[in-house]
Amino acid sequence: MNAPLLSVTGAVKRFGGVQALRGVDFDLNAGEVHALLGENGAGKSTLMNLLSGVYTPDEGEIRIDGKTVHLNNPREAQTAGIATIFQELDLVPSLDVAANLFLGRELMRPGGLLDVPAMRREAKKRLEAIELAIDPARLVADLSIGQRQVVAIVKALSYASRVLIMDEPTAALTVGEVERLFDIMRKLAATGVGIVYISHRLEEVPEIADRVTVMRDGRVAGVTEPHAPQSELVRLLVGRPLDELYPQRAKGAGKTLLSLKDASFRLARESAGWQPPSGISLEVRQGEIVGLAGIMGAGRTELLSALYGTGLAGHWEGDVAVEGKPVKLSSISAARDAGIAFVTDDRRGSGLMLRMAVGLNLVMSVIRRISPAGLMSPRRQADALKQSFGQFDIRPKNPDIAVGALSGGNQQKVVLAKEILGNPRLLLLDEPTRGVDVGAKGEIYARLRQLAAQGLGILVASSEMPELIGLCDRIVVLRQGRNVAEFIGGVDEHTVLAAANGREA
Amino acid sequence: MSEQKILEASGPVAAAPVRRDPLALVVRFQSLIGLVVVAIGGIIFSPRRHGEILFLDPDNIANIVRAVSETGIIAIGMTFVIITAGIDLSVGAVLGLSSVVTASMMISGGFGLIPTILAVLVMGIVFGAIQGTISTRFRLEPFIVTLAGLQAARGLALVVSGNQYINISYGEGPGLAPPVFAVLGERLFNNTVPVATLVFVVFAAIATIVLNTTRFGRYVFAVGGNERAARISGVPVSMVKISVYAITGFAAALAGIVHAGQFNFGSANDGMGYELTAIAAVVIGGTSLFGGAGSMVGTVAGTIMLGALANILQLNNITPAMQLLATAAIIVLAAVLQSLVRRREGLGR
Repeated sequence: MNAPLLSVTGAVKRFGGVQALRGVDFDLNAGEVHALLGENGAGKSTLMNLLSGVYTPDEGEIRIDGKTVHLNNPREAQTAGIATIFQELDLVPSLDVAANLFLGRELMRPGGLLDVPAMRREAKKRLEAIELAIDPARLVADLSIGQRQVVAIVKALSYASRVLIMDEPTAALTVGEVERLFDIMRKLAATGVGIVYISHRLEEVPEIADRVTVMRDGRVAGVTEPHAPQSELVRLLVGRPLDELYPQRAKGAGKTLLSLKDASFRLARESAGWQPPSGISLEVRQGEIVGLAGIMGAGRTELLSALYGTGLAGHWEGDVAVEGKPVKLSSISAARDAGIAFVTDDRRGSGLMLRMAVGLNLVMSVIRRISPAGLMSPRRQADALKQSFGQFDIRPKNPDIAVGALSGGNQQKVVLAKEILGNPRLLLLDEPTRGVDVGAKGEIYARLRQLAAQGLGILVASSEMPELIGLCDRIVVLRQGRNVAEFIGGVDEHTVLAAANGREA
Repeated sequence: MSEQKILEASGPVAAAPVRRDPLALVVRFQSLIGLVVVAIGGIIFSPRRHGEILFLDPDNIANIVRAVSETGIIAIGMTFVIITAGIDLSVGAVLGLSSVVTASMMISGGFGLIPTILAVLVMGIVFGAIQGTISTRFRLEPFIVTLAGLQAARGLALVVSGNQYINISYGEGPGLAPPVFAVLGERLFNNTVPVATLVFVVFAAIATIVLNTTRFGRYVFAVGGNERAARISGVPVSMVKISVYAITGFAAALAGIVHAGQFNFGSANDGMGYELTAIAAVVIGGTSLFGGAGSMVGTVAGTIMLGALANILQLNNITPAMQLLATAAIIVLAAVLQSLVRRREGLGR
């Protein structure tokens, strides 16, 4: 029997005390599209980084055509024939397509001058080979995300052509672009390229994959057929039936906290790629967790940031009321005065002061309260920290270490605890469990439900459909900045997805 | 939440050893360590006269701490700015402007001591606040705004002084400064402690308290730690930034007054390059140019260390060129240490 094109056996990788991979076996045949699924933190990115030479395994080995290889850096992986397309495409937007394709390996004329016409001719040939009609002289900045994705694929294949690893390539694509990308992937596979396709979109798997490997907690949870029922995939992903991960729903909701009636956010300046809320109507009541669903670009994040005043400059039109009183939500201070708190989807970029201690981060939103007369009160600070560590099981339980040293889940708990300290009445959450392992997810869900039971209203945007379905009392579906459907929590995923994509269920 | 739960959580988890990076500790106290090393080096390499170590002579030590007092005052202000991840290049020029304005207000303006000092300090605050406002309002890099501020302050100083030294003569009546102003150049307590150094030490003490125990100090760290996160948490980011430049302006004006008092004249071209010495002292003191971390004690130690180093080289008749090279080496060493720690923490390259 032939050795597989690529195989990984017994891969172990540790980062400090965290074991990201605990003995992973994985293989890929030529001409195959092998889907690699897993929750955030399951280890799929680590595995991908081993294959692309970013990390080296602590134990285990990687074989190509049955021969052991050592991939010490990305260049060695490329030489071995493995090309990786990361989510952040490594393209230079200010250069044209041809220049990007030949970056670092430019074609030269004698005398050391760039041979631009030759590079454009060659670029055109390569793009046409996968039937993509892009002018090689166009700037990458002017291309759509889908087109950039394809340029990145062509670039990757030009220096490594046997194995293609794609990290969530469809995350930012429209439905049409996804179809086109799948066409290209099928064509490449037909020429004998093996493709590792990393995703967390279960619904795409049967469409494109030949085989599915599901990872969980640094191990392979199972290898299965792409046409396995979704409930089976979910069970492998989460490791337990869905209903155990999510807490009991609320018995009933109280008075209305936030109400939007035909509300639109008028931008001071139009901005491409920023979908402002337009003609939106929704309510969040006390004790209620309301979810915001929608495809990428539907305006979930934009709605939250417009409510909190962190997005682009602009103003609300239509009825925006908090606890029955009309409010002008145009700045962070207006939102905070109205009792609104916000947890960003980008905790490292805009949620935390990574180098500063956990304790300093926790009290950041209540500095005013713990500094009477402008002087920091150590006693009040200690009280606040005690409350936070009591409410959220942040580990290690030490307020003095830098927050950047914590795991993703614990960092997320710090961001949440920080906002809860301010005693908000309405909490806006954007992707509250991104990059958080399953265990911490469960804790965060339980805590959110508990806070809601104490009278907090929560509006949560998420791209993880099972999370919205499991956690929320109601799910509001957005499309192009507008609410197009509303479901009771526990609804089935297809129904929500269909509404989000504007199709009949 | 039950008390039991908290206790449970605090037990084994809190007991888990938190790894203290020894390198991080070194960086935290690098300027103090450096100061000790330089002092020991000073004792060893000091020239001796009649068996007495000249470096440790009370007169010599008073000289060291007096010589660093002006840049020290500026470095104290600069520490606030650098913790917010900003920079202020205008301070040396503002010192020059302040010395000129101090001298001319008293000599040709006929103003009394107190009105002059208050006016110059307010001028420094306003000058800094304007730079901070321009930087935040138009989202400009502080580097470029304060570079322009440097030129503006020098220009103003030349206008006010007519490019002349303004000599300060003491006495009663018009055209003379109150004799008490000359105390800035003297020593107190049996001719041991220079007054300029006292100003530096008092200012450093106040700044330490402001930075470490007030709401404002916490905001300064927050803005430098992560400006977006600070804004989302409700920190008045623009106010904080404007304030730190007002503080450097105040510090530079204070240093300018001390300068005029020590040397008995105002000169538009004085204080040149002080901004760089101050930045060096701050960085050697362990404050991160990336913002969010820093220490006032470190800055003070860094300032004195640079002064002591210059002193020991001078005592041994080593050329100023060598002094510059030695300072350069220390700055690079301090920066490399910081960068190593950042990399170990997995933050930044």
